[in-house]
Amino acid sequence: MPLSRKDFIINSFWASSGFIILNRTETVAGTLTGNGPIKVIVADYDRCTGCRTCETICSAFNTDTSGDKSPHGPGNCEQSNIRVWRFMPPVDIPVTCYLCHDTPCVASCPVSVSAETGRKALYRDESKGTIVCDLNRCIGCQSCAETCKTERSGVIYPDPEGSPTGMCNLCDGQPQCVAWCPYEALSFVEIWPEQTKYSTPQIIFEQLKHKLYTIQSH
Amino acid sequence: MKGVNGKILIADLTTKTTYTRMLSEQEYKLYLGGRGLGMKLLSEYLTDQGTDPLGPANPLMFMPGLLCGYPFPSSSRTCMVTKSPITKASKPTKQFASTVSYSNMGGFIGPEIKFAGYDGIVVIGRSDTPVYLFIENERVEIRDAQKFKGMTSNMFDEAIIKEVGDRRFESAYIGPGAERGVSYGSVMNTGARSAGRGGTGCVMGAKQLKAIVVRGSNNMETADPLLFKELLKTARLSFGADSESKTNWRYGGTANALQYSSDRGSQAVKNFSEGTFSGIDKINAHAARSRVWKRDMACFTCQLACKKSGFAKGAYGGVVNEGIEYETGTMLGANLLIDDLDGLHKMIEIADDYGIDIITLGNVLGFLMECYDKKLINTEFLDGIELNWGLVEPCISMIHKIGKMEGIGAEAAKGVRHLSEIIGNNSHEFAIHVKGHELAAWNVQGYAKSLGISYTTANRGACHMTGGDINGQNLSTLRDSLGICSFAASWYRNDLHFRHLIKAITGFDLTEEEFMETGERIFNLERWLNCREGFDRDDDALPERFFKDAYTSGPHKGVVLDRTEFNSVMDEYYKNRGWNLITGIPEHGTLKRLHII
Repeated sequence: MPLSRKDFIINSFWASSGFIILNRTETVAGTLTGNGPIKVIVADYDRCTGCRTCETICSAFNTDTSGDKSPHGPGNCEQSNIRVWRFMPPVDIPVTCYLCHDTPCVASCPVSVSAETGRKALYRDESKGTIVCDLNRCIGCQSCAETCKTERSGVIYPDPEGSPTGMCNLCDGQPQCVAWCPYEALSFVEIWPEQTKYSTPQIIFEQLKHKLYTIQSH
Repeated sequence: MKGVNGKILIADLTTKTTYTRMLSEQEYKLYLGGRGLGMKLLSEYLTDQGTDPLGPANPLMFMPGLLCGYPFPSSSRTCMVTKSPITKASKPTKQFASTVSYSNMGGFIGPEIKFAGYDGIVVIGRSDTPVYLFIENERVEIRDAQKFKGMTSNMFDEAIIKEVGDRRFESAYIGPGAERGVSYGSVMNTGARSAGRGGTGCVMGAKQLKAIVVRGSNNMETADPLLFKELLKTARLSFGADSESKTNWRYGGTANALQYSSDRGSQAVKNFSEGTFSGIDKINAHAARSRVWKRDMACFTCQLACKKSGFAKGAYGGVVNEGIEYETGTMLGANLLIDDLDGLHKMIEIADDYGIDIITLGNVLGFLMECYDKKLINTEFLDGIELNWGLVEPCISMIHKIGKMEGIGAEAAKGVRHLSEIIGNNSHEFAIHVKGHELAAWNVQGYAKSLGISYTTANRGACHMTGGDINGQNLSTLRDSLGICSFAASWYRNDLHFRHLIKAITGFDLTEEEFMETGERIFNLERWLNCREGFDRDDDALPERFFKDAYTSGPHKGVVLDRTEFNSVMDEYYKNRGWNLITGIPEHGTLKRLHII
C-alpha cells in the first residue's frame, strides 16, 4: 500500500537522498546550512510519472518577465531548473538542485574569494540557502557544471558561451514545481542535512531498477 | 504568425538531402496541424493515383498536433500520416489502390519536434541502406543505422541514447518486424508507446528509416499570452480536481474497460464470435494492478498516467515495459480465450519488441485459431504449431514467426484478408476487417449503429476511434489534428473549449461552425483521396460474421445484425454527409463547400 501523504511527509523528515525508506526512494534539495533541519524539495519516485509538468512550470515562472509572474505560460523545458530523466526499463527521476550542504560545485569554482564579499563567483546565498552565480565574476569555465554532473544531480547546465545555469532559486520560498505537480510527487519539507547522502540520477536509477524490475525484489 | 513554427522539415532519403518548407497561415487555418495538416500535405504528394505505398513516392509524415509542445494536459499526441500499405479496394482500378493511413501516438516526440522548430517532418524517397534522421534544432543529418538493424524496440530505445550521448533526445523508431516488412508494423517510442495502426511502421521500414531522433530548444510562442495563462491555469485546476474519472484513469488506464466491456457484451472474444469473456477477472485491471504493475507513466504534461510498467512472475516472468491495456488485453487475451495474465504480458512484450500492431496481431491469431479449430487448416499449414484456443505458448511461437517473417509468419504478416484469400473455404466470412484493415477490440453486435459506422466509414479502414456519428467523427478528426488525447477530451469543454485554446495560441478566432467545418473538411479530404483510388460504398462493408453469427452468452445473446436495418442506418449517414447514396463518393458541392476542390 502506498504511504498516505501525511506519513510520507513525516518519513521524509528523516529521509535522505538515495535511501529507500518503507519501500520508497527519495531525493532532496533544501535551504540553509547549519545544524538544524532545513527545508528541502523532496522527490518521491514512486509517485512521479515522468510527465514533465514541473519542467514547464519552472521555466514558465522563472522566465516570466511580466508584472504578474505566472507558472502557466508555455515554458521551455530547456530553461527549467528541474529536470526529469527517463530511463529504460521505465523509471523517471526528477532532479533539481540538491542545495548540498558540502557544495562541491562551489568548491570546484576556481575564481578567488572576493575580499569584499567573501564569495567566489559561485556561492551560496546564506539568506535563501540557494546556489547563485555572480555573472560579473564568472569566467565561464564550467567546472561547477562538470562537478555537479559527475557527483550530484547534474542540474547545473554548462553554457560554453556564457555562465552555467540551472541552479534552483526555490521560487522565493514557494517552489512552483511542488505547488503544481499533478501527482504530488514533489514536497517542500524539512530534513536534517547531516543525514543526507547525495546520488546522481544514474545511481538512483540503478537502485530503483533493482527495486522494481528484478526477480530478487519480488 | 504566432503559435506555429511555420515550417516543416523534409528529408529525401534517396538523394540524402534535407530542407524546410514554409507553410501559409491559410494552410494552418484550414487544416490546423497533426492529422489535418498531414492529410493536406499527403494530398499534394500523391499526385498519381495508385502510388506504391512502399515505394519512394509515398511520403511518411511525423505530424505533432497544433497544441503539441504547449503544456495543456493530455495534448501531446503525434499523428503519423502516409498512404496505407494494408488496405485494398474491392474493385481496384490500379495495382496499388489503397486508402490514406494515419496513426496516433503519445509520449514526448511530438513536443520535441515542435521545440526543434518544425510543425512536422516529411520523409520521402527511399534509402538503400538503413539510416536514421538526426535533428537538433537547425542541425539535420541523415546518418547510417546499419548497426541498429534488427534491434528490438526496448534495446534500441537505450542504444540510440548512447549513440547521441544525451538522454534529452526523443526518438521514434521501428522494430525488426516493420524492418522486415510486416504490413502492420508500428512506429514506436519510449519502448512501448506506438502509432500501432495502419501500417505506418511498414512504410518506414520500406524507406529503410530505422528512427528519427530529435532535440529542440526553441521557445513556444503564443498569440495571446494572457488568455493562454488563464486557460492553462483553469485546465490545471479543473483537471487536477479530485474526480472519480481521473482516479480511475490512474488506477487502471484503458484496462479498466476490460471488465466493463465484457460485462456489457461489447468485447472481441473468440475472434469476435462472442461479446463476453468468462476469464476476464483473471486479466482485468484489478488483477494486473495487484500482480504485475508497479509504476504509472504519463505522456508530456498529462495528468492521467494511463501507461503502466511492472514485473511479471513465473514461467513468463520478467520486466513488463507495457502493462496490459484494453486493446492489447482484449486482442491477445479475450479474443484468443487466453486468461493467463503473466503470459499475456509476455505476448505484449514480445509483440512490442518486434514493433507490430497488437490489434491486427490479435485478429490474425484469432482468425488462424478459428480456421484451425474448424479444420480449414492443419498443423502443416501452421509450420507445426498447434494453435489451439486459450494457449499462450503456440501464440508466442506464432508471434516470433510473424516478427521474423518466417514460413507461415510471412503470410500472417499480411493480415487476415490475405490469409482468408489463401485459406478460402468461406473463411472470409469470419476474417474480421474492413477494407483489409482489422477491427479493434470493441465488438459490433448490439452496438452496430455507432460502432458499425465507425468501423465501416473510417478512412484508414476499420477503426474504433473514428466516431459513431458525423459530429463525433468530425470532432475526433479535430482532436487528432490538435494532438488532444481522446481520454481527456471530454474535459475540454465550456471555458476550455478547443476553440479558445486555438485562439490563445494562434489568434485564429473560429466560430463553432468554422471549427466543426474544419473537422468535416479533413474527414472529407481523406474520403475524397480514398475515392480517387477507387474505393466506394461497397468497400464500407462489415464482415459477414456480424450478419450471421449470434453470441451464445452475455447481454446480447442471440442477437444478429439485420442487413436491411444496417443499410438504412448507412443510407442516412451518406445523405447527411453530402455523399452520393449509391457510390458513397463526396458530392461535388460538398467538396466545393469545404474548400477541398
